[in-house]
Amino acid sequence: MYKLIWLKELKGELYTWKSTAWLLAASLLFSFTSYLLLTNKELTLLDQTELLWLLGKVIVGVGLLVVTIDASSIISSEFEQETAESLFLTPLALKDFLLGKLLAPLTLWILIYLISVPYIIVASAGSRLALPFMGHVFLLGTLCVLGFILMTFAIALLYRSSKNTLTTAFVILLAAAVPALFAATLKSGSVLTTVSKINPLDNVFSALDNVLVDYQISLGQNWQFYPPLIIFGLVMLGLLSAAARRFRQQGIIRNE
Amino acid sequence: MKYFFGLVSIILCYELWGAPAVLAQTAAAGPLLINISSSKTLSGTAGDYVTVLAGITNSSAGPVSNITTYLSLADESTKLPVDLEDWSAEKGLFIGNIDARQTLPLNWKIHFVTPGDYALIVVAEAAGQELPQTSAITHFHVNSKRNLNPGQVLPVALGMPIVILFAMTLLTYRRNSKLV
Repeated sequence: MYKLIWLKELKGELYTWKSTAWLLAASLLFSFTSYLLLTNKELTLLDQTELLWLLGKVIVGVGLLVVTIDASSIISSEFEQETAESLFLTPLALKDFLLGKLLAPLTLWILIYLISVPYIIVASAGSRLALPFMGHVFLLGTLCVLGFILMTFAIALLYRSSKNTLTTAFVILLAAAVPALFAATLKSGSVLTTVSKINPLDNVFSALDNVLVDYQISLGQNWQFYPPLIIFGLVMLGLLSAAARRFRQQGIIRNE
Repeated sequence: MKYFFGLVSIILCYELWGAPAVLAQTAAAGPLLINISSSKTLSGTAGDYVTVLAGITNSSAGPVSNITTYLSLADESTKLPVDLEDWSAEKGLFIGNIDARQTLPLNWKIHFVTPGDYALIVVAEAAGQELPQTSAITHFHVNSKRNLNPGQVLPVALGMPIVILFAMTLLTYRRNSKLV
């Protein structure tokens, strides 16, 4: 059943040329970034490894933005357009509904990743970092994106409003992004060190730094960055199941 | 006149308080000696690793305890210290004790990160010593790593949006032709 929901959402998101314009925009953004990084007089002063790190941040950042926006509306719109009631009159389990909805933004992330692959190959030419770069961006990005989708779904089930869900999810995404963008020297305090260890975005950026700048390319050399992302995903899964339980108790038409 | 005496008294105070401090500093030279055994100048390309080899010797008749050795790296062009975060995994090495006349080897694996000229000093400090001991300077010359390929990026930077635009147009055309 979840496949039907997934395909229905994908059709809705990729059916018209207007709905796929964001793919073109993402591609233009990657083109602009990589062209500037490789040809701009001042930006080319960056070492190639730092340049790749910057490109990795842009890819994951664009993926998170697109996925957060999509996940914010994908569930809430069912309530706002009043289609949720008829949807749940069918023998559709909430689990299948959520899984189908989850696969749709995850597919968007895969599309963004696929678009970024040629840029990764071109930017890392000569460095032997192309494969580790691609592999780690995919693994780290997927884990981080998955956590944010689960979180956004939980918010959407609680709020049932696209606007509020989008605002809350965006604020959380920004809150995670701001300390992650600080230089390592600014993270010397104990509070910021702790925050950076549990912050999923910080772990993604630090892992990419470890792979691309420090040449620690194997999974074993980056093992410390993956558990926080997995824990983040599990915590968000717990939050979503709590929100789903509350949704079941309240029903589709909330009595407030 | 009042200001003149005031100024003279300030200068006298500075001389009286400052001079013993300078004397005390020169009197407290430590028993540790650091010798750099690797090359005085190490060169490479950004991304390369080099090893700085050194030896720390206790030149005194008794043991020295609680010794910490660490690196200090300065950028010679900007005249600013460099954060060692990406340069060395081991910024400092703690050595418990060195017996009298004993020498211990030290080695640091340094990762060249940013192109430029740098000066590296190994510093050692021990418990009860007022002054740290520094090594001779090791000069780093890091060449930039240029694998930039503007010739290859242009086809991708232009080609990818064009391919996506073409795919979008094709899909729209096929969908519209099905509708008709």
